[in-house]
Amino acid sequence: MTAISVFMWALVLLLFSAMLTLIRLLLGPTIPDRAVALDSMTTTTAGAMVIYGVITKQAVFIDVALVYAVLSYIATLYIARYLVKKKVGIA
Amino acid sequence: MNFGELFWALQILIGIGLLVSAIAAVRFKNLIAAVISMAVFSLILSLEFYVLQAPDVAIAEAGVGACLTTAMYLLAIKNTTDEEVIE
Repeated sequence: MTAISVFMWALVLLLFSAMLTLIRLLLGPTIPDRAVALDSMTTTTAGAMVIYGVITKQAVFIDVALVYAVLSYIATLYIARYLVKKKVGIA
Repeated sequence: MNFGELFWALQILIGIGLLVSAIAAVRFKNLIAAVISMAVFSLILSLEFYVLQAPDVAIAEAGVGACLTTAMYLLAIKNTTDEEVIE
């Protein structure tokens, strides 16, 4: 078992755990459950993207993971602002 | 595990995720849950472009799908009054 093979198994396990968070997103009773499931899924998938860049030995693929991490942060921020404003009643 | 087996395993996982998130985005009654399912669909579609060796298309899909679409749908839902199903 070489090092690249270990990275491939780690990538498959990361994506499998992302599928488990997808189950939580489907079953989640409330909206904050689904928002947290989306956030953990994007973080797991960003890690999987970095590992895929290591496997294929191309440094361009790391940039996609960075961009996706920043943008998913903004999306989670918008969802959180919407939930807070709806519950407190500011807007 | 060589690279071909990894490629097909990734294709199977991504296909299952795309199908499940698309059906969830259509069938959720709550609007915010549907928007979150759309964000997950965009994430998995970006991962598919990424696996198919197109990182620039993946960056464009991530920017439009993760940030712009979610923010604009949420602003539109906030500024309209509709009968929203609260579970």
